[in-house]
Amino acid sequence: MAANVKTRRFVRKYSWRFWAGKTFQYGVLVIFALLCIIPLFWVISTALKTTKEVAANPLGPPIAFHWENFPEAWIVGRFGKYFRNSVFVSIPIVIGSVGLSSLAGYGLARFNLPGSQAIFYGFLLGLMVPFQSIMIPLFYILKDIGFIGTYWAMIVPSIALGLPFGIFFMRAFFLGLPHDLADAAKIDGCNDFDVFWRVMLPLAGPGISSLTVFQFMGAWNSFLLPLIYMQKEELRPLVLGLMFFRSRYTQNYPLTMAGATIVMVPIIVIYVLFQRRFIQGLTAGAIKG
Amino acid sequence: MSARAAALSRGAGIAALRRAVSKVAVGYAFVVPALALYVFFVIYPFISSIYYSLTSWDGAQPVKVFVGLANYRRLLSDPLVGQSLLHNLIWVIMGTISPIVIGLLLGVLLWTGARGMVAFRTIYFLPVVLSEVVIAIIWNWIYHPLFGAANELLRFIGLGNLARGWLGDPNWALPALIIAAIWSYYGFCFVVIMAGLQNVSVELVEAATIDGANPWQRFIYVIVPELRHVLTMITAFTLIGGFNVFGIVFVMTQGGPGTATQVIATYTYRKAFQESEVGYGAALSMVMTVLSLIASYVFIRLRERGE
Repeated sequence: MAANVKTRRFVRKYSWRFWAGKTFQYGVLVIFALLCIIPLFWVISTALKTTKEVAANPLGPPIAFHWENFPEAWIVGRFGKYFRNSVFVSIPIVIGSVGLSSLAGYGLARFNLPGSQAIFYGFLLGLMVPFQSIMIPLFYILKDIGFIGTYWAMIVPSIALGLPFGIFFMRAFFLGLPHDLADAAKIDGCNDFDVFWRVMLPLAGPGISSLTVFQFMGAWNSFLLPLIYMQKEELRPLVLGLMFFRSRYTQNYPLTMAGATIVMVPIIVIYVLFQRRFIQGLTAGAIKG
Repeated sequence: MSARAAALSRGAGIAALRRAVSKVAVGYAFVVPALALYVFFVIYPFISSIYYSLTSWDGAQPVKVFVGLANYRRLLSDPLVGQSLLHNLIWVIMGTISPIVIGLLLGVLLWTGARGMVAFRTIYFLPVVLSEVVIAIIWNWIYHPLFGAANELLRFIGLGNLARGWLGDPNWALPALIIAAIWSYYGFCFVVIMAGLQNVSVELVEAATIDGANPWQRFIYVIVPELRHVLTMITAFTLIGGFNVFGIVFVMTQGGPGTATQVIATYTYRKAFQESEVGYGAALSMVMTVLSLIASYVFIRLRERGE
């Protein structure tokens, strides 16, 4: 019997169909992987060329590495300033949206509040309508309360817009945690906030870190919102700075690509470092959704 | 209620009621900060949007003149709206089917026993984390009329006479944008489909194999039905994304050449923020709202029927 299985495997392994199948399988997988990587390679290789070389040898690797394009873009393109802006807005957005989502997600999951269903559906509405549904009046609201022209014009709306997904996600997470621990902590004399802060929040660590990476990516790459609300040049986040830079230096590809590299490298590094968390968060949201 | 409870058993009743009330108050204390922010910065502007769409406001006048449904009547007769919606429709059809098919193909190929799952996943997802502006810069470069990769490739395979300035050609600009969008998105479809595939039972597929199903039949009759939840979710998500697409179009072509790539989101932006037709812009934004709500509603219904 065992020998029979072995021969069958042997035959299967060395039949031409098996190899043709494997070649097709890996061929397709590798082609789509190259499709993803090669354009990113072009960005970096172009950033290291001179303008002349770009026209003569657009697709190949650079002959000599012109690293000076990066400091030039950093200074001429004011990417240093825009980088700081992006950091200044992203950190409060992430803290605010993850913090408030955790609180509200916990409140909706663990207290039998009258109207909690309605509140939850109200938040879900925010997942269904696009930003465009609110962007026009929001501009005038932000103007009236004096946020336009400050970092707040991006921070506060981004927190509010991050809440629907955040609450949806954290509520599901807290619903999945065991009740006994919280009850035990209560008997030991913890009040409700202590239970949340010392018991439940540490247990929700994986959910919180997924959501943090997720919201950070959203804040860092956010485009339409700052395009409308952060028109002042000194306030522009990196992505917007890159767009205006590109329209000013249309023909200077090395500088534009150096700028694009400055924008994409931090997010790629964060993605690669935290990808397990990030993809977990994404798929948990997607599949439970 | 409180009077009756109190009358029934004075001390204990009041204490229990107090505990219940304080429990509810604590619960609300967790929810209220988020709710307040959400109501003020999302719900209130959402309702205002509906109101704005019924006015002829230009963003500057002190009063907003109520004009009823005039903006919506104008929508129906505005040829640019029809054209933009047609572009969105093309975008939604091409931009939904292709990345899902690619994601499904890659997912199934990896699922049926290829090595290097984590490496492939990392690579496929890279374009998804990029900003729309970076994607636009990359693809503007690929479509460059003189030395872009698209033309170089055509010349290389002997089809040099097809080379053109892709984004400057009214017939090709929209498909060119959609290809860029597909590139930036199939990794997302792949990751979600892959997660769905983890829940497909291997026994089921093996049983089908024993029953004589060929790989294609196994794919269509076993794997796809098992993935239906994930596929409806991702379809709804992609449809909504396609109706509201903005960044790539705005950065790459600004809706041009002429109006060849104008979509509803770029048209709305132009009206509301560049031409100061705030009321009309709000009506246009309502079109996107309604389309997104319809897509969400269909998704929820399909989901409920599946369960």
